[in-house]
Amino acid sequence: MKRSTRQKVIRYSLYGILILVVLGFALFANWESIGRSFFNLEIARDMFPEVITIAARNTIMYTALAFAFGLVLALALALMKLSTIKPYRWLAITYIELFRGLPALVTIIFVAFAIPIAFPGVSIPGGALGQGTIGLGIVAAAYMAETIRAGIEAVPRGQMEAARSLGMSWGKAMTYIVLPQAFRIIVPPLTNELVLLIKDTSLFFVLGTTPATKELTKFGRDLMNSKFNGTPLIVIAMVYLAITLPLTYLVARLEKRTAAAR
Amino acid sequence: MTERNTTAPPIQIRDLHKYFGELEVLRGIDFDVQAGEVVCLIGPSGSGKSTLLRCVNKLEEPTAGTVLIEGIDITDPETDVDSVRTRIGMVFQQFNLFPHLTVLRNLRIAQRRVLGRATDEATRIAEEMLARVGLSEKINEHPSRLSGGQQQRVAIARALCMNPDMMLFDEPTSALDPELIGEVLDVMRELADDGMTMLVVTHEMTFALQVADRVVFMDGGVIVEQGPPEQVLRNPEHDRTKKFLRAIEVE
Repeated sequence: MKRSTRQKVIRYSLYGILILVVLGFALFANWESIGRSFFNLEIARDMFPEVITIAARNTIMYTALAFAFGLVLALALALMKLSTIKPYRWLAITYIELFRGLPALVTIIFVAFAIPIAFPGVSIPGGALGQGTIGLGIVAAAYMAETIRAGIEAVPRGQMEAARSLGMSWGKAMTYIVLPQAFRIIVPPLTNELVLLIKDTSLFFVLGTTPATKELTKFGRDLMNSKFNGTPLIVIAMVYLAITLPLTYLVARLEKRTAAAR
Repeated sequence: MTERNTTAPPIQIRDLHKYFGELEVLRGIDFDVQAGEVVCLIGPSGSGKSTLLRCVNKLEEPTAGTVLIEGIDITDPETDVDSVRTRIGMVFQQFNLFPHLTVLRNLRIAQRRVLGRATDEATRIAEEMLARVGLSEKINEHPSRLSGGQQQRVAIARALCMNPDMMLFDEPTSALDPELIGEVLDVMRELADDGMTMLVVTHEMTFALQVADRVVFMDGGVIVEQGPPEQVLRNPEHDRTKKFLRAIEVE
C-alpha cells in the first residue's frame, strides 16, 4: 500500500470510530435524566439574580483585591530580585520559590486558619475571606514578581543609563522611564495572571462563608448539595466563562498588538 | 570639602584604573579637559576610550584613581553624583531616547523631575533647544517616527535642556546610516563653535581634524599620544598610532 493511501485509511477509520462513539452515546444515554440533572431551567432561573449580584460580584471583588495586593508585593519582590544587594536578592528568590512551589490552597489555608490559631490576638480584616484574599495575593505575587522582573529586564539598559546621565536618581529613572516601558511589555502576561487568579478564587470554597460572602464556586456547590442537582454548577461555569473568555481574547489581541509594535 | 569650583578645569582625571573582572580596561589614565576645549578620543575598539568617557559621569565606577568634575571628586562616596551629572550632558551611540514619551516630553522630563522647573519654563527651554538642532516641527512626534539622525539630534537637545557645562559624546554617529552622519556632526560643530566643552569618542577623523582642539589616541587602556589634530592625525609619533590611522584609512 502506498504511504499516502495508508494514511488515508487510518484517518477514515478514526473518523468511523468517533462517529460510532458519538452515535452510541446519543442512542443509549438517558437524555431525560441528563437534562434534569444538568439543565434544569427552573433551578437555573431561581439562581438569578443572586448568582450575579452576590456570587459573581464577590468573585470579582476577591480577585481584584488579591490582584492589587499581589501586584504591589510583586513589584517590591521584582526590584529586590534585581537589586545589587545580595540579601535582598536571596529574600526575593526564597519567597518566589517557596510560594510557587506550594499549592495555593495550602497557603490560603495557612493564612486563613493557621495564623489565627498561632496568634489568637491577630485579626486580619474581612474574616476568613479577607485572610484568604491575602493568602491568594501572596501566591500571586510570587508569579507576578517573575513577570515584572522579566519586563524590567526587557527594557534596554541604555534607558536607565540615559535617565541617570540626566541626573535622575535610580528611583526616579525606575519610576518615570523604566517601569512605564516594562509595564507596557507585561500587560498581556499580567492579564493572563488575572485570569488564573479569577479561577483560583474558587479555592475559597474551603473558607467559612455567610450567604453574603459566597463566591461563585461555593455558591454553586452549596446549591448543588441542597437541590441535589448539577444545574447550579453548569450555571456558574457559564458565568466563569463569561468573565474569563473576554479577558483571554483581550490578551490575545494585546499580544498581537505588542508583536506588531516591535 | 567639595564646593563647585568654576575656575577648576571641567574634567581632571588622575591615575584612573578600571577593571572588568580580571581584565584591566584602563591602566592609569591622567587626563584633563579645559573649559571650552573640544577633545576627540580615538583608538581601536577595546582600547578603553568609551570606558574612560563613561567614568567621567560615573556610569562606570572607577576601580582606582580620581575623577574631578569642576573640582568635585565624584569617586568620593559622599559626593551627590546625581547633581554632578546634571552638569554633564551625555549623548549615546544608540541615542537612548525614551520611546514611550513624545519628543517634547523627552526634553522636559529631567528638567521637571530633576531640576524642578515648572512645565511652562521646561516647555520653553525644550522648544528653544529643539530649534537649535533644527527639529522644531517634530516636537509632538514619538522617537520611533524619527530617522536615526533626527533621533540623535533630539538626544543632543535633551542633554542641552539641562544647561550642562560640558558634553560627552560616545560614538554619536556610529549607529547611523552614512547619509545621516552629516546632520549630527553639523549640530556638534555648532555646539563647539558656541564654546561648549566637549569630550567626543569618535571614528570621524575629518570631524576630529576640523573641530577638535586636541586629539587623544588610546590603545590597550593607556593614552599613547595626544596633541593638536594636525599633529596626531597627520604626523603621529608612535607606531601604534600610525598603524591605527593606516587601518581606518583602508576602510
